[in-house]
Amino acid sequence: MFEKFRKKSPWILHYNAGSCNGCDIEILASLAPKYDLERFGIINTGNPKQSDILLVTGPVTLKSRERLVELYSQMPEPKVVVAIGVCTCTGGVFRKMYNVKAGVDRYVPVDVYVPGCASSPDQIIDGVVQALAILEEKSKDIEKPKRLFGELTNNSIFTNRREMAKKIKHEKN
Amino acid sequence: MSWFLALFAPVFGTLVSGIDRVVRARMQRRLGPPLMQPFYDMFKLLDKRPMMVHKLHIVLGVMHFMALWASIALFMFGGHLLYIIFTHLLSVIFLILAGYSVRSPYSHLGANRELLALFAYEPILILMAVGFYLTCGSFEVSVITSNSPAIVSMPLMFIALLILLPLKLKKSPFDAPEAHQELCGGVEIEYSGFFYEVIYVSKMTEIIFVYALVFLFAGQNILLGIILVTGSFFLVNAVDNATGRIRIDHLVKKVYATAFVLALLALGWISYV
Ligand code: SF4
Repeated sequence: MFEKFRKKSPWILHYNAGSCNGCDIEILASLAPKYDLERFGIINTGNPKQSDILLVTGPVTLKSRERLVELYSQMPEPKVVVAIGVCTCTGGVFRKMYNVKAGVDRYVPVDVYVPGCASSPDQIIDGVVQALAILEEKSKDIEKPKRLFGELTNNSIFTNRREMAKKIKHEKN
Repeated sequence: MSWFLALFAPVFGTLVSGIDRVVRARMQRRLGPPLMQPFYDMFKLLDKRPMMVHKLHIVLGVMHFMALWASIALFMFGGHLLYIIFTHLLSVIFLILAGYSVRSPYSHLGANRELLALFAYEPILILMAVGFYLTCGSFEVSVITSNSPAIVSMPLMFIALLILLPLKLKKSPFDAPEAHQELCGGVEIEYSGFFYEVIYVSKMTEIIFVYALVFLFAGQNILLGIILVTGSFFLVNAVDNATGRIRIDHLVKKVYATAFVLALLALGWISYV
């Protein structure tokens, strides 16, 4: 009944899971007067219990992962997760470092991946608007992180084409 | 008429809050959310999965709203001004208790600050009621609103109320009790979904309470009342945009150094001038 109001007032929670702050600055820039995300009704609440969109930046460092999962599980459904920046999507420049895990989708289910290092405010706004369309379709069920539960294996994330060709045998048509 | 005003006070408050957000955005030269944005927020909150900390927390939140609504209703029916102020005090105390009833440190800190803010503004509200008694000869709102404008005989009291406005509306420079960037809302932090809706609505109702106090200064002159309310509305938004948050101890000191002194001077003015 109230589904159509979901995308009219999405409240944002922004969490920095060990990013270099490049993407955080861009998020704040897109909330600031020039790009003005508030015209979509978006507020940066900073409170997981009252927010609908989780904006994550940074590859998940070992220190921040519990907090990430904690924050995610404190948000009431329906909710969407937007991974901002290439290091959040795949690990980016930090991939295979000893203190980080490659990408947040290992821990929380990610709905929209916004690439770029750092991703520009335009891209972030586009990602958030796409997330709104997903938010409208979501049910109130509890989701599982795909990678943690084996639906999305480590084999389906690649850093380059050659690695991908090695791991996935393409069907010849 | 008073039934209508009392019953729909939360709706009017929400509308005022929508205008408030647009005005604030336009002052920062941006587009701002649509006018009906607070209503959208409310409908969205109804749609969330219910999560609660414990029952007492929710009950205290609901009681906060009911007491606040009761104080508005008393006001609209022309009740006793002191009763109105004390019912409002009761509602704030419910909220503070709700803040203390959960184990979140943010919530406790918010409740502490809310208590300090209460300590700062409550004496001034009571002095204001006394001022109304001295000028109009009664504490009844119905008598005050049928007298000549009280702002003529106690302008200093009106300035004291203007200083309190940002504090009651949780706007800067006096938004330390809520402090969205450091406390994430303070006492309201543990409410979510439908239960946050109650707190959200009562924040909207609070706006009506505050502007009703401003309206009281115009007495029977309704046009003057509308001018006072719109003027103070724009003033509060301008101040909100132009200033930053001050610390909670500075808040208490500044309110006592300015508004309390002004209120006492206003009482002296009425008695001796
Ligand atoms: S994607 Fe680039 S700019 Fe953004 S947080 Fe990662 S390293 Fe920093």
